[in-house]
Amino acid sequence: MITFEGLDENFKFIVLEVENQARSTHKFLKSPSRKRYSKIISRDDYIDNLKTIIENKCYSRIHSDKSLDRNQINKIRAIQVMCVNLEKIADYFVNIIKQMRYLDDQFFINRYDYEEVFTIIMERMESILSAYHEEDMPKALFICKSEPMLDNVYKAVFDRVMNEIGMGRDAQSLITILFIFRYFERVGDALLNIGEAIIFSLLGERIKIEQFDALQQTLTKSGFSDSFADIDFSAIWGTRSGCRIGKVEQREATRSSDDRKQGSIYKEGNLEKIRKERESINRWKQTFPDLVADIYGFHEDSNKGAMLVEFLNGCTLDEVVLSGDDEYVRNALFIFESTVLETWTTTMESLPVKTNYIWQIQSRLEGVLQTHPEFWRIPKAVGEAEIRSTEILLQQCADIEDELEAPFSVFIHGDFNVNNVVYNHAAQQIHYIDLYRSRDFDYVQDASVFLVSNFRIPIFDTEHRGRINSVIRQFYGFAKGFAEKHKDTTFEARMTFALARSFYTSTRFELNFKFAKEMYNRSMFLLEKIQHYKGGNWENFSLPEDVLYY
Amino acid sequence: MAEEKFVFDSLQDSESIRIFLQSLTEGFEKGSITLSTNGDTIELAPHGLLSFTVKAKKKDSTSKLSIKIGWKDNTQPQPEGQPALKVD
Repeated sequence: MITFEGLDENFKFIVLEVENQARSTHKFLKSPSRKRYSKIISRDDYIDNLKTIIENKCYSRIHSDKSLDRNQINKIRAIQVMCVNLEKIADYFVNIIKQMRYLDDQFFINRYDYEEVFTIIMERMESILSAYHEEDMPKALFICKSEPMLDNVYKAVFDRVMNEIGMGRDAQSLITILFIFRYFERVGDALLNIGEAIIFSLLGERIKIEQFDALQQTLTKSGFSDSFADIDFSAIWGTRSGCRIGKVEQREATRSSDDRKQGSIYKEGNLEKIRKERESINRWKQTFPDLVADIYGFHEDSNKGAMLVEFLNGCTLDEVVLSGDDEYVRNALFIFESTVLETWTTTMESLPVKTNYIWQIQSRLEGVLQTHPEFWRIPKAVGEAEIRSTEILLQQCADIEDELEAPFSVFIHGDFNVNNVVYNHAAQQIHYIDLYRSRDFDYVQDASVFLVSNFRIPIFDTEHRGRINSVIRQFYGFAKGFAEKHKDTTFEARMTFALARSFYTSTRFELNFKFAKEMYNRSMFLLEKIQHYKGGNWENFSLPEDVLYY
Repeated sequence: MAEEKFVFDSLQDSESIRIFLQSLTEGFEKGSITLSTNGDTIELAPHGLLSFTVKAKKKDSTSKLSIKIGWKDNTQPQPEGQPALKVD
């Protein structure tokens, strides 16, 4: 147990004082008295002071004591959050007793069940110190659970009061009752913050309770041990494609050699996306068992999904490319191309498929223009030479695209960015991640996304750029070779559409204006090429390959 | 008079750049070049003496060619005997 001299004492006092405040308020509601009223008011001043003292100590400790490790800092931060919320709770009690004077009859409150409310609150208040000091996750969750419970109480009282107001009597008292129960409801909100602060001190991650619930459910379903103390929820890596991602590992001490050594990835987000990703993974698994991660657990509630998947060892392909080790890069690219070739060949269905690259641009316009409002060309002319607007170009190119189709489909990755490919050098294995967009479609989609995801790596020194360009050259050659082998005669035309799409939509993630403009201009250039070629034989169209290199 | 401005910034290849240069050449022949943006036009009337600068630069793998042409409008002297503009 970590202790902070002085601070722990103060913290204990504030918890006990707010507990006392809750008890006194309870008594006051049952039998209001002037003496009790003044006692509650004066204790509130003391709690305010205590809060300030604790906050000062927390901040000065964090700033002055350089020997604190991350865990200790998190604990201090948790104390600070808890004492702010405890002080809020104390204020709510003061507000409640102040409301009492607006009741026509002080005993009016007894018609409503506040006993239940105090039971919920007191049980939680009494758990705070032990949950924090004993690092007891179930107790922390127990504290959090008061919030929905108090919400429910408030909802029931609210409905009842609305009904009673409708009868036309006791309006003032009824509104006062609403205010009082509203304050109880807010006590629940503050208790939730306290519970979350304790969870933060245990996990070292700020995690919302509903996310925690999802994690817990997923872990339980996937057969992880049921004690959260054994699990190191080491990091939430941030968001990707709107999902929160973190790595979950068992702590060293409790990990046996048979345990999953590499831990797992926890992914949580929009239900549809998570469901779609699970479906895709399952489909990939059927044909290529080692290509994608195993799913250990899946959980869904009304609008969110959570999934625990195998953590795949290795580096993403962009890390490999930038590593600078030529032999390593060559090896990775060889395995990568063999993998792509195998997936394309195995899943190929020789039914033509319509593409929708221009539509993909149109459906992402808002995102692009939000980041770069300038990337929307209006019609211009230089003498007799006309310059088409982006809008017209997109319309005309969409019509042209309608004439084209891919001669066959393959099962594509769907978001084939260079950083969605993991290379395990030791196992000589490629893995695909982030698969919620996998579908049967034109392989040119994956090829173009892969090419542009290399192009858009924001590294500009000659050496690295040379390496990136050589990956692009090699992969483009590979894709072109595949097209020739399978007599895909409109490959270059479709590639032009697909690159125009990827260049344009990639700008929404690029805040370096100059670089973003490079991509935007390339996209417009390609659309113009397509537009000028209208009516020609698409089998003879050639992609101006230079656009691929920076 | 407010400044009028036309900007077009793009990527072209040798084939498409030729179309723009040709259009400008024709403008010099006619003595009139119209540049327009969404219906707003700037009319340029190159005539008389034109200042002409060509700059070329080559560094590493980047080359740059800039052509600048400038002139003054309304430089003709006022015909004699015309009364000066008077505002009461």
